[in-house]
Formats: sequence, C-alpha cells, structure tokens
Amino acid sequence: MSTISSDISVRSRVEAFLDHEADCADRHLYSEWLELWSPTGTYWVPCNADDYDPRHHVSIIYDDYQRLQERCFRLSAEGAHAQDPPSRLCRIVGNIQFDNEACSDDGELHVRANMVLVEVRSGLKTVYAARLEYRLLLVEDAFRINLKKVMLLDNDEALGNLTFIL
Amino acid sequence: MAVEMSEHVSYASLIEEERVHSAVFTAEDIFEAELERIFYRYWVYLAHESEIPEAGDYCTKWIGRQQVVVCRGGDGEIRAFFNRCRHRGTTVCRYESGHAEFFRCPYHGWTYSNEGRLVGVPFPSRYGADFNKEELGLAPVPRHDQHRGFVFASLATEGPSLADHLGRAAEYIGLFADASPTGKVVLRSGASKSNFRGNWKFVGMDGYHVNFTHKTVLDLQKRRNGVAINRNSNTDRSPNRTVDLGGGHCRLDLSETDRVEVGKSTSLMLGEIPDTEGGAAYLRAMIARWGSEDAAYDKIRRARDVHLHVWPNLQLIGSEVRVIRPVSAAYTEVFGYPAMLGDVADELNERRLRAYEWFNGVAGFGSPDDREVFERNQIGLFCDQEPWLVLSRGSGFVEETSDGRVVGNITDEVTQRSQMRQWAKAMG
Repeated sequence: MSTISSDISVRSRVEAFLDHEADCADRHLYSEWLELWSPTGTYWVPCNADDYDPRHHVSIIYDDYQRLQERCFRLSAEGAHAQDPPSRLCRIVGNIQFDNEACSDDGELHVRANMVLVEVRSGLKTVYAARLEYRLLLVEDAFRINLKKVMLLDNDEALGNLTFIL
Repeated sequence: MAVEMSEHVSYASLIEEERVHSAVFTAEDIFEAELERIFYRYWVYLAHESEIPEAGDYCTKWIGRQQVVVCRGGDGEIRAFFNRCRHRGTTVCRYESGHAEFFRCPYHGWTYSNEGRLVGVPFPSRYGADFNKEELGLAPVPRHDQHRGFVFASLATEGPSLADHLGRAAEYIGLFADASPTGKVVLRSGASKSNFRGNWKFVGMDGYHVNFTHKTVLDLQKRRNGVAINRNSNTDRSPNRTVDLGGGHCRLDLSETDRVEVGKSTSLMLGEIPDTEGGAAYLRAMIARWGSEDAAYDKIRRARDVHLHVWPNLQLIGSEVRVIRPVSAAYTEVFGYPAMLGDVADELNERRLRAYEWFNGVAGFGSPDDREVFERNQIGLFCDQEPWLVLSRGSGFVEETSDGRVVGNITDEVTQRSQMRQWAKAMG
C-alpha cells in the first residue's frame, strides 16, 4: 500500500490544485471556485483564536456548502456593495506540508500551507497572512475541498472588509 | 468649507431639527470635544457581567481612547480601573481577558491586587515616610453600575444615575435579556471586531436603508425561502416603526412583521426555533416563565430583535451586543458580541451563532455593506460645498405617545433626529 502524500506526483498535484484555487479566488471566479468544493465541505475562518469548538464560539466565517453557495451567489449578484468595485487580490500559497499518510485514493488528505495575500481596494493596500489547513478528498481522480480553514494572524484584531474569498 | 470651531459660538449650532452640518462627522477638533463632552462625561456601555463570571476574572475595554480593566475582585464585586500604573503610567494589564490575582507593572514591578490596591513596591526604603501605598491604588473609573447584567461606566463623579440615563431604553435592554429563559444573556462566545474609515455616529439606527444597502440579503432570503419576503417591511407602507425613546436612545420596532413559527425563520439573521427537542424545551421554558403559550410567543417575537440604540455607544440588534469605539473623526472600531441564551440546548445557541455570522462580522452578508456605505459617507462628507445633511424624513407625520415617545414609520428619520438632538444637548 503506497502512501499518497509521499508520492511526488501527488504532492505536485496538490500544489497545482492549491495554485488553481488561489487563482480562482484572486480573480473572483466564484463558480469555478465553488466547483473545487465537496458538498460536505466547510469553509472556516476562525475569530479571536486559531482553534476552538465552533459550536460555542463565533467565527469570521463558518460556511457549510449551502452558505458557500450563498456567498458566491451574493458576490456574483448586483448590490454586494462591499465588493463593488471588487478587491484586487494577489496571493502566494506555499510551505505546503502533508499532515497524514492517507492510505488509499479515496482517503482525506490533510494539508497545511501558509498564505500571504495582498489586497488593494478603496485606496488602501492591506496585507493578510494566514496559516491554512485543508482536508482534500479525491473524488473521481480530482481533489475536492472538504475543509478549508484560514487562520489569519490578525484574527483577534479589528479587521476591515473581508468579503472577498480568503 | 471646513468649519473652524474656534470661530463658532456653539457646537449645537451645527444641528438643526431637520438637518445636520457635515463638520459634525469630519472635523477632528469636534471629535476631540466629543470625547470630552460625551464619552468622558455621560454613561457609556463598558462590559457585560457574564464576561467575568468568577472572582479574579477580568477584561479590558475602552472608553474613548482610555483603556479600562473591568475586574471581579476576590470579594465578587465588579470594579473598573484605568489601565495605568500609578508610578509612570505603563499599562498593568496586557490581555483583553483573563484571570488574575494581581496585576504587576512590567516597568518597575509595582503590583496591584485585583481589587485595585497597590500591594507591592520594590525596594521601598528609598521612598520617604510620606509615601502612602493606600493612595496609589489603580485609579477607579468614577462611577459604574449595571442593568440586567449590562455594565455601564461614567467618568463624571456626579450626575444623573444610570437609571436616569437609560430612561425608557432600560425596558428594551431587559426585553433583549428576556429572549433567554433565564432572563440573562451570556457573552462568552467571542467578539467579532471590525473597523471602518468613517465617523462613529454613522453606526446609527436606520430603517430606510434596508432595501438598498442590503439588497443582497433580501435576495438571499428569497433564494433560501423560494418566495420574496415582504420588502414592504422596510417601506413607507410598513406597519413597523421608528421610535425615539428620549436621551438619544432610539429603536426600530420590527415586531409587527415578525412571526414566531417553529422551524421557520422570517430573518436569516436570527435563525429559527428548531423543530427539535431542544427547540421544544426552549418554548416550554419560556411558557413556564411567561405563563402561557401566547405570552411566551409574544415575548419571543418582541425580544429577539429589540433593535435598540443606547446612546452613545451600545446597540442591541438581533443577537448582537454591538459596541462602538470612536478612535478619530474618520476611524471607528465596532466590537460585536453574540449574546447566547442561558439554559438552552447547545443547538439553539449554535444556530444563533451561525445566524449571527450570516449577517454580521467582517465577512458576513450584511454588516460589511453597512460599513462600505459608512466609508463612502466619510468621503462624501468632505465635499462640503453644500454641507447640510437632510434628516427631515417623516418629520411632519410622526406621533407622540402619551408617555413621550416619538413614533414614526420605519423609514422615518426619527432615530437620527433623536441622536442628533441628544448630541447637540451634550456638546452644547
């Protein structure tokens, strides 16, 4: 039984997948971005701390798939003033590490990465940095996001407008 | 043209009954005066007692730009101190919340008890006989008091009591807490902290903006429910009301179009009472407290979104305890604390959190659009060729109730006029 995370080709596939996801987010390609998700997925941006029980603590974002669809619907619709005009975004995702040794090709791959994101909007350039945690499912030979957790360095500070895709 | 206040007789001249001068929102010297005359004089909301439930628990808060430590001492009493070592002024408390028996200054080691007494000064032999530790405790905030667990403070040593200040607003703070079967809400689920580049007074009460600023929220409700919700809830034909409670306190009364139905939600911001054992237990507890099913449903309908502004810095909207922190004329921080219900099934509070996040916070579907508008207001208001804002909406049509409330249609600028009238009174 081979471990998929030690496989060089899997590693490069994960990198390519995360690069593609970053590109969709940066360029506001909401329907393409949504296609990268499993319907069982959770998009989590913790608030005040990096980890806690989200049933008992508020989050900046805690989207199930239905709410992810709503988020993309809203951002694509007229009247989302906080993204009119949209933020200009450029991010680097790197320092990818594999946290588990998923043993079969239908297993969930646990991936960690770091992100640096620069946003320009309304005359203001803002740098966001975050540690990322992904759980990826391999579905019909394609990765699907089952969890994306974005641990912003400043998640306990007063933040501005985070209505774009982190 | 910019208003130079030194040339003006009074700040109050910038406020007329139906219009307001934009300098009120843009002038830094007026902002400095607001700190002195409003935030450092009137009662302001500070903290909720549930944030510091145990002896030794503390939290740090802001009154304007002054940081305050709110601490429950070993004797169980809540006290509020300025976060400043009496020696050379260093903050003695570094964290926003925690538990401490002592606060020790990092500079020279002066140590204070959690009741504010100076209990330790290193190498005391170099102070003279007249050095009195008793006189050098952390400076207490002159007055603090609470209503239904909401702790307010005033930097004025004398003046109206908190009850006098709250007036008719007290009833609605109580109503907010009455959504909980225990009659108290619990603020232990974190804080959603946001900022915007605009004036603190933009965080007001406005029933006119919903269909425009929050178009996507209405579209999402239609998408979720399959039918359009009643957009007339927020129009000149709505039975909902704006209410001036006096003293700058005001509210939107949205209860006319709210319906309490198990398993259904009229507002995705509030979530629904789930059709589960947890939901049923909540209703049983409310019926037990209020005497009948009708009374309990009526209480829930009125309590779950009191939409109250307690002048100057507190709002209770949906499940949010929203606290406004003025930083400068053109920069504001807003802290949102989701208020949880006491003694209910976890699933109810979990739904409350998820519904909170749906609208609120820096990535929600509602509040960011409000703050976008506030930032655009700030930019717009610097264009002061025509400096007067129009706040006349509904002015000729409002009613005054026998107990002195001014009531208008939900889109009327009753609330803005209420706040501006109070601003003029406070600023003089």
